[in-house]
Amino acid sequence: MSYKKKSTRTIKPGRKREKWTDIFPRYLTFISHMRPILRETRRIISDLDADLLLDTEILDKIRQEEEKRNIRKVRALSEFSAMYRSNVYEIIKDFIIKYREKIPIIDIKDYIIEFLYESVNALNVLRHITNPDEINLQETYLFILVKFIEEKLFPKGANLKIIYEKLLQHSHEFYECQRHLLQPHTFYREKLESSDFFEIPGMSPRVYQIINNITSLFNLDPNFGEFPEQENYEIPMILKNDVFSPYIDSIANPEEEAIDKLAERIGLRIIDGIFLAPQEDFVDILLANNFLRENKQSDGTIRMYPQFSNETLILYYLAFASQRRGFLSKELINWIAMNFAFLIYMGILKWKLSDENICYSIFKDLQTNEKVLPYLMKLVCFPNYLGLDKMKIRDSVQYRKEIFNFIGSEIDNLKDFIEEIAGFCEKFDKERKNK
Amino acid sequence: MTEFQDSTWKNLLNNFEIGLTKAVEELQKRDVDNIPGAKEALIQRLNNMKLHFPKNEGEIFVKSIDDKIQNSFFPNTKEFVEAFAKILKSRTHEQDFIINELLNGFVTSKAKAIASGTQGPIIDRMVEAFSKRNDFHIVDYQFFAMFGDPNKPRHYVKKQLEELINMFGLISKELVVEKDVRRSEEKIYTFYTFPDEIIKILEEKYLIIDEELGYAYVSESFDRNVFICMFLANIAVNRDNIEKIGGAYTINGISAIFALILLLSFMPKLSVDETSPILNDPNFDKENMSIIPKSWMMKQVLEPLFEPLIKIIAYRLGGGLWFSKVIDSEINKKIHDQIRFLIKDVNKWILGQLCRVEIPIFIEISNIFTEILVGYQEE
Repeated sequence: MSYKKKSTRTIKPGRKREKWTDIFPRYLTFISHMRPILRETRRIISDLDADLLLDTEILDKIRQEEEKRNIRKVRALSEFSAMYRSNVYEIIKDFIIKYREKIPIIDIKDYIIEFLYESVNALNVLRHITNPDEINLQETYLFILVKFIEEKLFPKGANLKIIYEKLLQHSHEFYECQRHLLQPHTFYREKLESSDFFEIPGMSPRVYQIINNITSLFNLDPNFGEFPEQENYEIPMILKNDVFSPYIDSIANPEEEAIDKLAERIGLRIIDGIFLAPQEDFVDILLANNFLRENKQSDGTIRMYPQFSNETLILYYLAFASQRRGFLSKELINWIAMNFAFLIYMGILKWKLSDENICYSIFKDLQTNEKVLPYLMKLVCFPNYLGLDKMKIRDSVQYRKEIFNFIGSEIDNLKDFIEEIAGFCEKFDKERKNK
Repeated sequence: MTEFQDSTWKNLLNNFEIGLTKAVEELQKRDVDNIPGAKEALIQRLNNMKLHFPKNEGEIFVKSIDDKIQNSFFPNTKEFVEAFAKILKSRTHEQDFIINELLNGFVTSKAKAIASGTQGPIIDRMVEAFSKRNDFHIVDYQFFAMFGDPNKPRHYVKKQLEELINMFGLISKELVVEKDVRRSEEKIYTFYTFPDEIIKILEEKYLIIDEELGYAYVSESFDRNVFICMFLANIAVNRDNIEKIGGAYTINGISAIFALILLLSFMPKLSVDETSPILNDPNFDKENMSIIPKSWMMKQVLEPLFEPLIKIIAYRLGGGLWFSKVIDSEINKKIHDQIRFLIKDVNKWILGQLCRVEIPIFIEISNIFTEILVGYQEE
């Protein structure tokens, strides 16, 4: 008799389950285990005499009893449920101990019930974020939230100009988020010039610094040369060497070697092998947005003076990545999908939970995050949503760790955006109810 | 006042004066500013600086560097705790950008930097590791579990962790478990935390101590900049130990960034025509930003100002030891050149104009100049 465990998978080895009907149930798995735990706990607390809450041992006993009722057969699920339940009870206990001297126990009980009620509501929204058949797609939270965030940070459009202008429209509020979306924290895995010619990687800190240098050099000390595509026009140019001359010890050599690709991503091109100048299409965009100013010279030629802002080139990079989203690097896809999933998740929590809700920490716990966000990341990649290559979303535990630990470095502007998403959810919900 | 009477200091002041003359000459040759009066305002400011900066043994420099810059970013003390407290206290949202740039300055100045590309994100991971526990400690095993790569030997993570611990000045405590649950073998856990005195400082804003539950957990304000402040404090108190702080690169990097802050603070505010598109740009905040002449950033103008200023800063921060490391080598010139475009979030380009975000350090330094200027005028 062989003790080798037989695989229960019916699909071919090496192929992942990537259909909507595969991923959506996986997304639901853990959420549908969290909700009953919170509901049961709320019912138990609600039925319990408030004075009994003062004795925390009673809560421990209740928890032990509840754990005995665990009938889940899948080990991962029963372990998760046990962990989740024990976290919930621990948090409740801590809350009671902390406030029992300051607040009447009856009020503490009410608070706990209220917090659990809010949390169940949040899980309800997360559970019904979309539906298995994607019916009435436009009415689902997942769709409207992806579109809401996408419009501001990673819009779609018929051409680059449209995308660029959409980004610019929101840049005064969310420029830091837009920039953040281009800066995967796993940048050190990226190659500037990939063997795949079309691949677009994220922006490393050094690339960001180089783009910043280019912006400054254009504003400060540009040369002017013939606009190759238009007679009698002069466009601004800067010397490629000026950008790289400050770097020592070959630290910017990879960037210098890949300058053609780098320039293309920020709307520039190399002219005569030594100058960096805007591409023809980008000149139109720059003129339309006042980043170039035309001035007639005494010899009749029209010279275009650069007046770039910090975001001028960065937003082009983002627009370029958005337009060619089918060619993004693995790191960038994971990063973008993670940010979208995180914003949706946090936006819903912000909407449903009050700031002082004690369950926030459970929702933000890495163990909870890693059960919900990876599947949400894949869902947002489907064609009806962001349309990214979901096969590039990594599944390894190690990689998840790496990505989710970066949640700890969320920037202030992301927090502002989460507030806005919460407000949008509230508005959408009201409109839907009024229909 | 004996310290001001030394010849090096006098030479430095003289060199700065010569630099100002050169910068004015360069400015006369070219005009990259397109705001009417910008070039003239800058020339007038540079001439004023030439007139007033050398007075009273360089009083303006002494006050700006010793009182303001050192107090906010690089305290002159041997006490690590005091240095950390001062840097932390001067934190504002915008000044965080400067603190971040200081770290980025090192990343870009050195190929093998103290905080290299891969370590940058690790600082974020450490923030996350501290946030995950309620005793304000991290354990080496927790760190390995969170960040270790099963495909790589553990010593990589271990080495990275050790480097970070040293860099930030964290302390360690060992816990020996006689019989480990899994293998029944002796196991040593190493806990890392902040020194007690630092914890007391953090308690005000970054750390919530729940005495009733015996918990200590971080607040939302606890972020990577807390670590970067530790890093700066560590360099500040060890400024006499060049080896320990990373050698001449660090000295040139720090001095150049502070020189940039100083120059930025002294730049005059410009007023623009009310029809100027910049005033309608949503990124321009009239209350907190001012347009400054951009021509001071031209290589030809900045170079004669920057070199002597970096030396002045180095001399004030680290005396002769630091001063001797700011030599006019090609490499140092390159490092200084790199720093020209740093501090990009407090020194923004908006429609081709250079806009300064009016943060406390700029206002304080520029006030010193104004006060002294007014004082002389009254005399």
